[in-house]
Amino acid sequence: MTPPILTAAGLVKHFRAGGMGAKRKVVRAVDGVTFDLAPGETLGVVGESGCGKSTMARLVVQLLSPDTGTVKFQGRSVGADMSLTEFRRQVQMVFQDSYASLNPRMTMIDAIAFGPMVHGVSKRDAERKAGDLLERVGLEPNRFGARYPHELSGGQRQRVNIARALAFDPQVLVLDEAVSALDKSVEAQVLNLLMDLRRERGLSYVFISHDLNVVRHIADRVMVMYLGEIAEIGPTRSLYTAPRHPYTKALLAAMPSLDPDNRTEVAPLAGDPPNPIDPPPGCRFHTRCALAFGPCSLTKPATLVVGAGHLAACHLNARKGEAA
Amino acid sequence: MLIFLTRRIIYTLPIMLGVAIVCFALVHISPGDPLVSILPPDASVELQNQMMAIYGFDRPYPEQFLRWLGRAVQGDLGNSIASGRPVTSEVFNAVGNTLILAACATIIGFTLGGLFGFVAGFFRDSWIDKLASVISVIGVSVPHYWLGMVLVIIFSVELAWLPATGAGPGGSSAWEWDWIYIRHLILPAVTMSVIPMGIVARTVRALVADILQQEYVTGLRAKGLLDRGVLKHIIKNAAPTALAVMGLQMGYLMGGSILVETVFSWPGTGYLLGQAIFQRDLPLLQGTILVLAMFFVVLNLLVDVAQTALDPRLQRG
Amino acid sequence: MAVAATDINGLPTRDKSPSYWASVGKRFLKDKVAVGAGCVALTMVLMAVFAPWVAPADPLDGSMMDRLSPIGSEGYILGADELGRDMLSRLIYGGRLSLFMGVTPVLVAFFVGSAIGVTAGFAGGWVNTITMRVLDVFYAFPSVLLAIAISGALGAGIVNGLLSLTVVFIPPIARVAESVTTSVRKLEYIEAARASGASGLRIVKAHVLGNVLGPIFVYATSLISVSMILAAGLSFLGLGVSPPNAEWGLMLNTLRNAIYVQPWLAALPGVAIFITSISFNMLSDGLRSAMDVKA
Repeated sequence: MTPPILTAAGLVKHFRAGGMGAKRKVVRAVDGVTFDLAPGETLGVVGESGCGKSTMARLVVQLLSPDTGTVKFQGRSVGADMSLTEFRRQVQMVFQDSYASLNPRMTMIDAIAFGPMVHGVSKRDAERKAGDLLERVGLEPNRFGARYPHELSGGQRQRVNIARALAFDPQVLVLDEAVSALDKSVEAQVLNLLMDLRRERGLSYVFISHDLNVVRHIADRVMVMYLGEIAEIGPTRSLYTAPRHPYTKALLAAMPSLDPDNRTEVAPLAGDPPNPIDPPPGCRFHTRCALAFGPCSLTKPATLVVGAGHLAACHLNARKGEAA
Repeated sequence: MLIFLTRRIIYTLPIMLGVAIVCFALVHISPGDPLVSILPPDASVELQNQMMAIYGFDRPYPEQFLRWLGRAVQGDLGNSIASGRPVTSEVFNAVGNTLILAACATIIGFTLGGLFGFVAGFFRDSWIDKLASVISVIGVSVPHYWLGMVLVIIFSVELAWLPATGAGPGGSSAWEWDWIYIRHLILPAVTMSVIPMGIVARTVRALVADILQQEYVTGLRAKGLLDRGVLKHIIKNAAPTALAVMGLQMGYLMGGSILVETVFSWPGTGYLLGQAIFQRDLPLLQGTILVLAMFFVVLNLLVDVAQTALDPRLQRG
Repeated sequence: MAVAATDINGLPTRDKSPSYWASVGKRFLKDKVAVGAGCVALTMVLMAVFAPWVAPADPLDGSMMDRLSPIGSEGYILGADELGRDMLSRLIYGGRLSLFMGVTPVLVAFFVGSAIGVTAGFAGGWVNTITMRVLDVFYAFPSVLLAIAISGALGAGIVNGLLSLTVVFIPPIARVAESVTTSVRKLEYIEAARASGASGLRIVKAHVLGNVLGPIFVYATSLISVSMILAAGLSFLGLGVSPPNAEWGLMLNTLRNAIYVQPWLAALPGVAIFITSISFNMLSDGLRSAMDVKA
């Protein structure tokens, strides 16, 4: 077994949300997340808004520091065994908002060249590299290099963002809803680009999305998050065909389908996603779970192995002989 | 609401302290010995020693500040060098006159400015709008003390309709709401009203135009719930902000009245300040500024609280 | 990098787009009112700069016989002041000090205020809180009052006047700077810059300043007219510039008593202030409009 390229262990991040003393409110954005990323693998991360995906992404990329927990690259702990600067060369992020991710006053070449220059590359070499990368993502450098963000379409900007992330020659890309804001046809093009790049450069991806269809297409393994915790994690096929957590099941059932024989008639999930400030006791999902029973409101479910490389945190899996 | 109130007051206290420190520092940034600055040139040695004992000019600054602050809080701001009278009484005599002037100027400025602004916002991009915007730019760009002079030239010198200076036959302490007095008030009040007029016109115009543009208003108008309902709606929504601006403008006028009051020799706090500067009367200068600044801070606080009370959406601390 | 490329039909494609400021400039030039105001402001500045060549007479040279000559008198196109000095020359020379005292404090406050505001905005946290609280203390004074307080305490004189005006304008500029910087700081491209490993200072230089100085600068230009009026006001009260220098505010002061004898003569310096102030105001407004539209 090749060692994982990226390991996140016990990541916790709470934010203060006003109130004083006893009434202090805490947003438990990420509350104990642990996962591995194997080299060359794509890990999809799904969940509703507020489940902590974006915060987790930023913790992994070290844009936020975790309250507790570690992030390791190739077994080396960031900060302790590995400098932050070196880590930044290896792990990069692509953001959701293609327009806000680019400095409106910088040309595309400058935007891409900035990263390498920070790491000591000369301006000329950095610009040449930027031109090559623009070409690789499908934008002709002579036409697009000197342009400003407002002169590009959303899809073109995201390509630039990808090029910018690649300028560091990283081994891992964290894509935070990177295609979510694009029109469907453009989304497909960018996804294809990502998959080509992955193959060419041997990249590993953490692919965050709320779109289960897209994730199924691109991910090897999928992690389902709910209220800052991992509900289920496993290989794409087994998770999609045989989910072992009620939340995953509900999400899959809620996927819009073009098949008229497969219409969603009843909303599978009741209510709105609850507030990460005051999570329900016991299993956090129990208030919306159609299958909740006794222990669900009392104790937190342990993360149990339910298949090869497949884990789920649900009391139902602890019952022997009971189909979940 | 109560939480907001206490929070807001707690927030204001360090500001007031800061203001006090700045006022305290004024005497000390003035060139020369602070002891000399606060006493008339022919002060006796005993007087000097007395001042030294009270204010402690040879002690470290924090102690000096506390001494000065202690006396100030009790109402003792020293004595004016020029008149010998306590600064506090001078200031409070003058404050009333400035209040009259500022209040009238605010009302005039607000009324006219509000009218201009409303009309301009309602008929956006018409000639009325352009005219109103020209008037408001003029209002903001004109040196109001010069405007005062021009008005004096027109109405006092050339036409001799209104007096040029003073606050009426009673001097600085008597005032009655009587034509003999009011005729002295007209020119200075109109002069000062120009400042808020420009700003109020701009603000109201933007508010009205903004509210009219919001989709639900377009919806209302489309449904034919024309003008009267829309008018009421606009006023209800624009009122809190407009009132806040008005309150603040009045505060500015109180604090910034010195120039107009000097032109018209209007016996208010501004005029007092002018005298203090002219005569290098530091205790009077310092005391007047302290009172005016504190007044402005408190006014800001009141406006803030009132605005939040009227529009709970603003309550997020 | 900027090699002309051709598209499928062999026609050259545009490979360089106009920079941000070039497009601002183009938009500005379309605004006739703003351009007009700019020309007027420029004229006032040029007259002041080239005063010795433009003014017909020595501003300090007065003939008591001709004192308070009305406008249009022989040899004195705009009349003579209370000491017999040619008004036109005094006005032209007066522009030098008035403009200087109006522009300099704003310029200095722009640099100092921007530095403070951008630092506070970018640093966030307690640095931001403390800085803004201290600024709030100065904000608590109405500007006229603060200017007079500092000036009055320091005494008359150009340097003291400049100092007090600069102190008056630093807080509002710093506030605008902090506000703009804070909103920029939250944007993803700043996060991306941090993810690249760049130091805070580098990020500020490469990414923040370019996006922030524009709006701050436009705000600062709107303060020029206020500064001029305030500076003239200080001189009017006897602070700031002192006689026999020519400066519009001071001239208004010394001519005050003349309003009963030569009213319109006495009003002339104010006309100069008004024209300059309004043209700078409209110039600044035009600049703001030109920058407002997201191209």
